[in-house]
Parts: sequence; structure tokens; C-alpha cells
Amino acid sequence: MNFEEVLAHHLLDHAYFALFTTGGFTLAVSKHSVTLWAVAGLLLLGLLAAARGRSGAARLWRTAVEAIVLYIRNAIVRPIFGHDADAFLPYFLTLFFFILACNLWGLLPGSAAVTGNVSVTAALALSTFVLIHFAGIRKFGLAAHFKQLVPGGLPWIWWLSPLLVPLLYVIEIIGLCAKCVALCIRLFANIFSGHIVSLAFLCMIFVFAQFGKGVALGGVAPVAVGLALFVYSLDLLVAVIQAYIFTLLTAVFVGMAVHPH
Amino acid sequence: MDKLVSPDPGLMFWTIVTFLALVAVLKRFVWGPLLTALEEREVHLKAQAARAAEAREEAERIKNEVAAYLAASQTQRQEVLDRAAREGEALLAQFRAAAEDETRKLREKTSAELGREKERLVGELRREVADLSVLAAERLLRRSVDPAVEKAVLDDFMKDISKGVRRQ
Repeated sequence: MNFEEVLAHHLLDHAYFALFTTGGFTLAVSKHSVTLWAVAGLLLLGLLAAARGRSGAARLWRTAVEAIVLYIRNAIVRPIFGHDADAFLPYFLTLFFFILACNLWGLLPGSAAVTGNVSVTAALALSTFVLIHFAGIRKFGLAAHFKQLVPGGLPWIWWLSPLLVPLLYVIEIIGLCAKCVALCIRLFANIFSGHIVSLAFLCMIFVFAQFGKGVALGGVAPVAVGLALFVYSLDLLVAVIQAYIFTLLTAVFVGMAVHPH
Repeated sequence: MDKLVSPDPGLMFWTIVTFLALVAVLKRFVWGPLLTALEEREVHLKAQAARAAEAREEAERIKNEVAAYLAASQTQRQEVLDRAAREGEALLAQFRAAAEDETRKLREKTSAELGREKERLVGELRREVADLSVLAAERLLRRSVDPAVEKAVLDDFMKDISKGVRRQ
């Protein structure tokens, strides 16, 4: 088994069985889809315990959850959305906790890192893209929302503007797509690269084992495990930071659609 | 390795469905109660803070009132003391004037009485002297003098004496 196979085994999705296939689209129950459901289920149970639990541990857990909820509400959602904050708050709270739970779940040994799968992050970015337009259209209407894609107040030059304004629309739409693609790639790359680096350090043991078990176990293994643990601790940090960044940027992009000026 | 960066529409579908279902369920069963409780607590805390501020203002107001009352009573006390001092001084002056007046009157009365007594004594002395003189003259002359002559002689004598007294 070479390094590529190790990576593919640990990071790629594996379909258990296909529910149906039509054209190029296959809806399958896979390792990552099951992980998504498990994470969602555990998150739901954990947050239900925080919201409705009465025991001492539940109250302690609730305090921790409330601290995060308050931070997201007061530091992200309210400054961006103002009076509209309450309508968007459940989405952003769920987004943060879901990404955080997926990131942390991926750090458990033997588990699948679903946010290291580009399909998952692309789906979350697609949700952001849809939400941007949904929020803008709900607030201003279809025509006004798309009109606001290009900032107002441009000087009108009769021979240039008829060419420039459509070009600006194209640029703005590409920019909007780029923002969402960047969201997708940022989360995916951070989680994915953390796992690749960890696996690369651990694979060094097996690479050096080719030169003898003594070299691998005595010299390389402690260093490789130490480095892998260091990267793992960085991954813990990255798990929280990336969940925060994804939530913050989503809020900023949606906020720009709701408050274009 | 292409699979690593190739999105799988099936998994994207599951992700979106799972995520949106989670948003709906959490909104209904977790975020709703949690945010409501948080807002109730915040409202409660704000109300408590408002009550505390109100109580602080009330305490401040009472403190100011007490200070004003103390200042007023201090002024009032000072006024009463000043008035008492002024009245005391006025009374003292009045008593002093009355005493002086009384003394003056007593002195004048005494002086007048003394004058009268002196005059009375002087008169008596004169008469005594006159009697003695007459007696002496009678003895000297060994005879009684006519009362009319005696009176004329005495008057002359008295005049001489008065002149002599005035000269003295």
C-alpha cells in the first residue's frame, strides 16, 4: 500500500450501497454520508441536553453552549444583520456547531473527516450561495436584489457605460461565485491538509521501516509521532478557527446582500 | 487522487439535506428555547440593573436631601444663634441704659436732697447762730431787746452773715 492508497483509504468517501442512479447522479449511502448523519444526530442530542437538561452536568454544558451562542449572536450576527439578526441566528448557530462538530469528529482516530471532503464543503458553500440570494430577494425583491449586485452611483458615459455595466455584472457574479468557492476550498483544504500532514508523518515510520525495524521504531517513530501529535493539536485549533471563519464569512456575504450599502 | 477534489453530487445532496434538516430541527427544539431563555435572562438582568440604578438614584437623592436639610438646619441654627446674640446684646444695652438712667436719676435725686438738706442745715445753723448771738448779746447787754429791734438787728446780722458766707 503506497501513500496515495493510504490517503485514499483515510480521506476518500466509500459508498456502502447505491439508493438509485440516474444519468451521472448517484445517490448512495456512503461512509461520509453516514458520518454526517451520526454527527448531526450526536450534535442534536448534545444540544438538546444543553437546552433541556436539568442535571448539574447538563447545566455546565449549557453554560458552555450559551457562551458560544452569545458570542456568535453578539459578535457576528447582530453587528452584521442588526434588526434582522433573529431571523438568521438559527442558521448561523447551526452552521457553526455543525462544522465544528464535523471538524472535531474528523480528529477522532478511525473516524471520517467529512469536512475534509470537498463535496461536503461545496454543499455548505452552495447553501451559503443560495442563502445570499434568498435573503437578498426576500428583503428587496428579485429585480432589486440583482440590480444591487452592481453598486449604484456609477457615472454614465454614453459610449462606455452600455459596455461597462454588463461587464460589471459579470464581474460581480464571478466575484460572488468566487467567494463561495473560496469558502468551500478554505474549509476543505485546512481540514484535508491537516490530515495529510498527520498521515505523512506517521507514514514516515513505515517508509523508514524499509531500512530496518530498528531505524523505524528507535529513531523515526518517536519523532514522527511527536510531529503528528503537534499537527493534531494544531488541527484542534484549526477545527475551531475554520468553523468560526466559515460562519463569519457566510454572515458577511449574506449581510452584504441584505445591507448592500 | 482526482477523487479527492471532485465533488460528489450524491454526498452534496446528503450534506444539504442533513444540514437543512438540522437547521430546522435545532431551530424548533434547541435554539428557540435556548435563545428565549437567554433573552428572558437578559431582560431580567436589564430590569435588575435598571432597578439597581433607580435605587442608586433614590439613595443619591435622599443623600442630597439630607445634606440640604443639614445645611438648612445649620443655617437656621446659625440664624437663631445670631438672633439670640443680637437680642442678648440689645437687652444688655437696654439694661445698661436703664441702669445708667436709674443711676443718673438717683444721683440727681440724691444731689437735690443733699442740696436741700444742706440748705436746711445752713438755715438751721444760721438760726442757731442768730439765737446764740442774740443770747450772747442779751447776756452782754443784760437786757431784753424790743422784738422789732431784735428782728431788724437779726436781719441785718443774717444779711451780713450771708454776705460773709458768699464771700467765703
